[in-house]
Amino acid sequence: MRIKILTIAFLLAAAMPAMAQEKDKAPAGSAENGHTVYMKYMCYTCHGTVGQGADRGTGPKLAPNPVSFASFQAQLRTPRQDMPPYRKEFVSDQEVADLYAYLASIKPSPAAKELPLPNF
Amino acid sequence: MANGFDRRSFLKGAALTAAAIGTQLVQAAPARAEGGAEDGKGAAPKDKAVKRPGSDFMVDVIKATGIEYIASNPGSSFRSLHESIVNYGGNKKPEFLTCMHEESSVAMCHGYAKAAGKPMGMLAHGTVGLQHATMAVYNAWCDRVPVMMFAGNFLDADKRRPGVEWYHCVQDPAAIHRDFTKWDDQPVSLQHFAESVLRAYKIATLPPMGPVLITADGDLAEEPIHNEKNLKIPKLTMSIPSQGDSGAVAEAAKLLLAAEHPVILADRASRSAEGMTRLIELAEALNVPVVDLGGRMNFPTTHYLNRTDDKRALVQEADVVLMLEVADPWGQFNSISDPHHEYRRLAKPDVKIIHISVSESLTKSNYQDMQRFMPVDLAIFGDAQATLPALTERVKSGMSSNQRVAIGDRVKKLQTDYRRMKERARAAAAVGWDVTPISTARLSTHLWNVVKNEEKWCMAVSGMQWNKNLWPAKEYYNFIGGSGGSGVGYGAPAAVGAALANRDKGIFTMTIQTDGDLMYGPGVLWTAAHHKIPILIVMHNNRAYHQEVMHLQKMAGLHNRAMDRAAIGTTIENPNIDYAKLASSLGLVSEGPITDPAKVEPAIQRAYAAVKRGEPALVDVVTQGR
Ligand code: HEC
Repeated sequence: MRIKILTIAFLLAAAMPAMAQEKDKAPAGSAENGHTVYMKYMCYTCHGTVGQGADRGTGPKLAPNPVSFASFQAQLRTPRQDMPPYRKEFVSDQEVADLYAYLASIKPSPAAKELPLPNF
Repeated sequence: MANGFDRRSFLKGAALTAAAIGTQLVQAAPARAEGGAEDGKGAAPKDKAVKRPGSDFMVDVIKATGIEYIASNPGSSFRSLHESIVNYGGNKKPEFLTCMHEESSVAMCHGYAKAAGKPMGMLAHGTVGLQHATMAVYNAWCDRVPVMMFAGNFLDADKRRPGVEWYHCVQDPAAIHRDFTKWDDQPVSLQHFAESVLRAYKIATLPPMGPVLITADGDLAEEPIHNEKNLKIPKLTMSIPSQGDSGAVAEAAKLLLAAEHPVILADRASRSAEGMTRLIELAEALNVPVVDLGGRMNFPTTHYLNRTDDKRALVQEADVVLMLEVADPWGQFNSISDPHHEYRRLAKPDVKIIHISVSESLTKSNYQDMQRFMPVDLAIFGDAQATLPALTERVKSGMSSNQRVAIGDRVKKLQTDYRRMKERARAAAAVGWDVTPISTARLSTHLWNVVKNEEKWCMAVSGMQWNKNLWPAKEYYNFIGGSGGSGVGYGAPAAVGAALANRDKGIFTMTIQTDGDLMYGPGVLWTAAHHKIPILIVMHNNRAYHQEVMHLQKMAGLHNRAMDRAAIGTTIENPNIDYAKLASSLGLVSEGPITDPAKVEPAIQRAYAAVKRGEPALVDVVTQGR
């Protein structure tokens, strides 16, 4: 059953790349509220306040250029490994969309070579 | 108080009662009365001065060990020894350092020993001081670091003053420490004291090293020395750390030479700069990447074979792993996920593992610092630093020409991989550069930019990986490793202890100080100011017991509950602590709290100038969690 669906999905995606991309597009969200939600649910403890990631492998970098919305949502609802789940009862679909909008709105930092980082 | 009268009538009454029931007290009472002019008339009062107290001899003994400092919070159970240190001993070698908590005293010894390469002493006041000391002793034990502990006590119950002194006395002073000290004794004579202190020093400093505890009995210290000509301070000859069995070393060399993807994991391997030099020699002979687990400074961060940040990948692909004094061997190859406790194997099932270590000779039952049992293929009992030259020799002499070619061919890839690892760290450090609160990578960078022209520097305590990933550290004294037991409260006093050792060696000392850790014993800042110990303290102030916030988040997720209450009981806000004010009240030059990333480097620069004048200084920087 699962294989069939996947096959069809693959075929559809191959035949209609534009539509497949459409499916992966994030629902509309408010970056501003996303920031509020990000701080309220304290994503920053493991990922930093602008999703820069945290030292000692605490949590990976989330932004700029976040993972696809589908992966993002999947990670929040049923995390791959050790991250706590953010279930629907506590974080609504709209809040997830807002969180994503916030991460997507984060601008890249200057490149390492433009910063006074130690280099040896 | 008119003691004479009260005491006399008490004694009379006591004698009568005792006579009636025929107890020992009959003998005790007159013995006491003989000592002084209890009747208040008759012979002129005698000068009761003790011209040569036992504690003077105790100071001679301590001097014989070469201990330069004794950290202590003053206490009456060792008042005689304290007085002998400052007057008879001239307060030099050892110098008495005023501490505000026994945990600070011991943690100072801990940091000092790693920076100085030799132990210093601490003095604990009876039961109370010893109990305060315990956590720091446990850290030193877990970290296998020598600490010479002394404690006051009045063992003879007949001489104790009533009341508080009884609360502060103990039959077996070392009992609460015995699970995490290497040795202890409670000498009952001065000769016994001399021999036990030297024995303790030898035991503490022989790998695996560890804290030891000698009781300096109060009566022995306060009473006059009898027959001084019979007292002898024995010669102190240090034992040479043992080298691993030569056959086993040859076998290890064979395994390493035959390996395609070998890796070295070094933890408490280097006891001195020489250890680092020896490890470089072995690593270069084999072209084998080294992961410095950081228990000690084992390998320069500038060396192309230092691949610490690639540990996971290296262990995953390794066919032979050489571990050098690794504290947690099992954890290098396996993990247990959190919070689901799922087992994960990182390494290949058939990886060949060699461990050179002396840790098994110092394992006790109660506290679980021995870590999970790890089956290995070749367990060599021996001190890693002492064994390395023989291993390198075997590797060089046993290398076939084919192996020489293969090993030589590895260089290019290793150099490229090293570059890639460094670039990755720099790229990661750049992300979120302008964020407020300041990112830990940026804080680490600014600090480096201020101190980078120091010829000799030491980052005493830092949980930040950035310092190792970004900074060029080439010398053994650059880092001194961690706390051992991860008992909070280690950071500030250990850093001050390291700074003390480094002050005498001309090494500039700095530390990254976490907020929760500092609040366990901020009094050590006063100790640094009082004793003019220069140190640059930069706060990594995330206003939380940050790790505990994350634990609460994990538990809320696990228990399917709301995800927004993890700050309760885990954060240090409302009110925010003003660490700059705290530090300045304790006599430090201070800056902060700094929230604007652009202001961090100038503030560190100003504090740095104060440290260069010989003062301790603190910069409070409000940071990201990690
Ligand atoms: C307790 C630490 C912790 C908290 C809190 C946390 N995360 Fe994570 N996050 C992780 C870890 C660890 C991973 C790595 C994958 C895993 O363990 O599941 C991760 C992975 C992710 C990923 C996948 C990134 C990738 O490149 O694949 C996303 C997206 C993410 N987290 C978003 C969030 C958001 C949004 C929040 C808050 C609503 C949050 N996380 C809260 C620890 C945390």
